[in-house]
Amino acid sequence: MRHIALFLIFASWATAETVDLPLYRTPPLYSTDRPAALEIPSVRLDIQPVDGKTVVKLEWLDRSRDAEAPAPDGFVDACAVMLPAGPVTGDVFPSLQMGDADHPVIIYYYDMKRGAAVMEASGRATTRRTGKTFTAQAAYAGQKWQVTLELPALPAGTPLSVAIWNGAQQDRDGRKYFSLWHRTR
Amino acid sequence: MFQHQYAMVLDLNKCLGCQTCTMACKKLWTDGDGMDYMYWNNVETRPGQGYPRKWDQIGGGFENGKLRPSEIPSREDYGQPFQYNYEERMFQGGLQVMPHEPVENTPNWDEDVGALMLGENYYFYLPRLCNHCTNPACLAACPRNAIYKREEDGIVLIDQERCEGYRYCMRACPYKKIYFNELLGKAQKCIFCYPRLEKGEVNACARQCPGRLRFVGLLDDPGSAVHKLVHVYKVALGLFPEKGTEPNVFYVPPFNPPRRGNYGKSILDDPRMPLDYLVYLFGEQVTDVIRRLEAELKKAQDGAPSEVLQLLIGRDEEVRYQIPKRESLVQITNAQIQPLRRA
Ligand code: SF4
Ligand code: SF4
Repeated sequence: MRHIALFLIFASWATAETVDLPLYRTPPLYSTDRPAALEIPSVRLDIQPVDGKTVVKLEWLDRSRDAEAPAPDGFVDACAVMLPAGPVTGDVFPSLQMGDADHPVIIYYYDMKRGAAVMEASGRATTRRTGKTFTAQAAYAGQKWQVTLELPALPAGTPLSVAIWNGAQQDRDGRKYFSLWHRTR
Repeated sequence: MFQHQYAMVLDLNKCLGCQTCTMACKKLWTDGDGMDYMYWNNVETRPGQGYPRKWDQIGGGFENGKLRPSEIPSREDYGQPFQYNYEERMFQGGLQVMPHEPVENTPNWDEDVGALMLGENYYFYLPRLCNHCTNPACLAACPRNAIYKREEDGIVLIDQERCEGYRYCMRACPYKKIYFNELLGKAQKCIFCYPRLEKGEVNACARQCPGRLRFVGLLDDPGSAVHKLVHVYKVALGLFPEKGTEPNVFYVPPFNPPRRGNYGKSILDDPRMPLDYLVYLFGEQVTDVIRRLEAELKKAQDGAPSEVLQLLIGRDEEVRYQIPKRESLVQITNAQIQPLRRA
């Protein structure tokens, strides 16, 4: 967040927009696993500047509400917004796989059981919880999840990527849906 | 690479199936919240469904060097934890002591059922715990590097801080010896009683065993019983060697007593249980092990001393356990260390 604050000074804020982002599945982790079905083809992203913050609303279709995850083989629904931790120069975005050593990322993660957590990463398998949290809310109705995340004000043109975990498909960690980078307006 | 490796040898010919080890471990380590369904140590009847149900058939481990993860067993596969209605029975009267809900599977569901061969029933008990493998599939599967193998003694542990509860380890372990604590969102498993070993105390499951069937020590310590049983006398084998994890819990296969009425015949000539079943569990080498044990038995019956059988009787703790002082773990000189099977 510190990095974002630095480059905010020179930027204008992201403006309101609503866009449907296509989602993709990460490939199976093990060659013996079957590829997972694309049950959630897209996520609706709604961005609103509100009182010096950027409020991001995510909405997606999910036939089952998985918020309890009965042990040991149950997994919860979750979502996240990933942002570059530092200023982005030109069109060089961090790797979609949790950034990379030169381009660390910040992840605003929300899971339906444990709530909100801010994470950092600089490449696959480096993700760690910062211990910080943020304001977020989730509601499930009509086979849809709607999650509102209050992020620090984002400058216009900030690339962000959305990830969705479908508990019913045993999603967790790198087994998930993800969008390509989308630049805020 | 790790310098030493703790190992346990269990003589299946001595197991009574009393579950004292199970309770010793349960009381000591898995009495906490979210742990009710987990038994880091369990004793299952073989042949039988095992705990979790069909763990030996669902997969895990390595195939051609590559991880081959299975599905995660379900809650039903582990069996539901339940309590008896003692209070109603004792204070209200008139009721039978019953589980407080209908029970459909438990960790010991098919105890003593076994199977039939030539019209005779056979079974034996198989106590199981994490194998603290030399090549742990759980460790290889964890994307967060939350699982580590201690360099000083080869004990495999899960860093509870790093664990995010992804449960890849549960899919990977071919022995299904990792459990998920739903309340904490963490994977948990047998810790080989490292806090006890560090104080020079043997593992709780071994200490409490009335059958005295467990031997504990460093596999690379030439003076240890485990070293002798595995590497010198070669009478103890790991479970499912083909799974590629190189387990460090070894079993002396059940070879005695012979079938009713076959006195004088070899167990291989007139087995009391299908040899195929032992081969299934312990691999092809089991035949040689049984041959070796029978030869020792014959020797003893003929009045000659048998070091192996004497060791297996293991009456005293000093014979069964060789727990080095923690400080001295790093002092065993390289010359004394036998190469591990895969160091
Ligand atoms: S038995 Fe399973 S949990 Fe234990 S070290 Fe081996 S692979 Fe890991
Ligand atoms: S070694 Fe300790 S933790 Fe492991 S099964 Fe035995 S009693 Fe339980």
